[in-house]
Amino acid sequence: MFALQFSSLSEFLHMGGVYTFHIWAVYLLFAVFISYNLLQPKMVRRHFLREQKRRAARDEELASKTNTQK
Amino acid sequence: MWLWFAKLGSPRWFYELSDKWLPWLYVSMLILMSIGLFWALLIVPEDYQQGQTIRIMYIHVPVASISLACFPLMAVAGTITLVWKMKLADMVAQSVAPIGAWFTGLALATGAIWGDQIWGTWWAWDARLTSLLIQFFLFIGVIALRSAIDSPDAAAKACAVLAIVGAINVPIIKYSVDWWNTLHQPASNFSMDPVAPNPPEVWVPLLVMISAVYVFFAIALILRTRNEILQRERRSQWVIDLVAREKNV
Amino acid sequence: MSDAREIQDIKGVSTWSAFCATLRRDLIIALKRRNDLLNPIMFFLIVVSLFPLGISPDPVELSSVSAGVVWVSALLASMLSLDNLYRADFEDGSLEQLLLSPQPLYFLVLAKNIAHWLISGLPVVILSPLLAYMLYLPSEAYWTMVLTLFIGTPVLSLFGSIGVALTVGLGSRGLILAVIVLPLSTPVLIIGAKAVTDVMFGLPVSSHFALLGAILALALTMAPLASAAALRISVN
Repeated sequence: MFALQFSSLSEFLHMGGVYTFHIWAVYLLFAVFISYNLLQPKMVRRHFLREQKRRAARDEELASKTNTQK
Repeated sequence: MWLWFAKLGSPRWFYELSDKWLPWLYVSMLILMSIGLFWALLIVPEDYQQGQTIRIMYIHVPVASISLACFPLMAVAGTITLVWKMKLADMVAQSVAPIGAWFTGLALATGAIWGDQIWGTWWAWDARLTSLLIQFFLFIGVIALRSAIDSPDAAAKACAVLAIVGAINVPIIKYSVDWWNTLHQPASNFSMDPVAPNPPEVWVPLLVMISAVYVFFAIALILRTRNEILQRERRSQWVIDLVAREKNV
Repeated sequence: MSDAREIQDIKGVSTWSAFCATLRRDLIIALKRRNDLLNPIMFFLIVVSLFPLGISPDPVELSSVSAGVVWVSALLASMLSLDNLYRADFEDGSLEQLLLSPQPLYFLVLAKNIAHWLISGLPVVILSPLLAYMLYLPSEAYWTMVLTLFIGTPVLSLFGSIGVALTVGLGSRGLILAVIVLPLSTPVLIIGAKAVTDVMFGLPVSSHFALLGAILALALTMAPLASAAALRISVN
């Protein structure tokens, strides 16, 4: 039951030959799907944090300026 | 019980709790996914009919089955939004919609690729593919409605209503498409039903893959919901503190 | 009628008379606006006559698709006229009055939906045999087609009403209404068109009618509730 089906790497990549493209296309799509849905939220988060940090820094700067003017 | 429920409704509480959950979820997804993929790609024996293309099933079936769970989930979240006005529920509902569209889209794409092998054509008006396609349109409708309404509060409620109406409709659509299709042509010889008559060495790895994709779904949903929480609560003190704590972004 | 009596009546209007008043009002408005009344029918005619131009004038080919063509065109015609349902009322404020009235909104929405069906659905049903003739629909399928449209088009109005109610407050509705409503309407289209096709092949269709009737019953009871909820969200 737990025997490997392929004896070599090239045989594995070949996938029996007839539908090589189909099988690897599905797994490639799956990989794209997983990585997009994990990376996209990370990018959004980073963008958000940057934006908020910039805003906080600007607010602080403004506050200190008004203080010195006084 | 009710205290727990009310607490879970607080976005901050969920955010902090999910901080603790995420590492565990990542680890279990990594483990399940590696076992599942290894098993599906290397160990599962060739099918006597489908040959090596049986390996497509290990992607298509988990993705398709989870895509079916997205609409009911969105409807439940919508109901909670309408009844208890819980903010978190709407954030979840908003995050489910694009993920559901992604899952349905991938299920359609992998179904088409599989179909090319089974039916000899990329697209067949097979009952399952057709109802997935209509479900895809429903997700697009919810996303479009959300982006069209400016007021977040109105958008939340409107999308909740649409999600509930859609969720009532999904089984009707599924049923009518099945019925339409089976009467159109005699029951198809090459059923996409993978599990029933197959031996355990075929369906055990499928179960592993289904749970791996479920964990992935949970992670994707939590990540998006967390972003939504930060975005909507960005003026509250705890988010400001959190941004200040965050180094090197 | 004296003034005192009138004032008293406003509070004591029964749900039934409010229902009738809403229905009558919508019908009168529609009859005054001839163009709005004619447009869906003309649209239905034009769309149906586009298909022979696009497919072929061949009677055999046309009759095989006729059922689907009539049904899809009826669906699109119903979609096109949906905007009239709440739009004008929303703009002149009478929709808000409707929401404030003491009678249950369910019945008022139902009255508006029935009015919409009488204006845009019923003419399509009545006109459909003519178009079916032009598309060479076999004569034994006529009654089935008219009956399925008669049961199915109210469902289209009821489902469509939810979509309009959700989008009525939006400045740029454009195609979003179609994106929301069309997927919801697919079961009716499938069953209706299939009933007509099956009759052409001499198959029994009583189950089709049972299904359509079930969907109509579901839509009548549930859809106005959803529309009412959606209207409250959109207007506030």
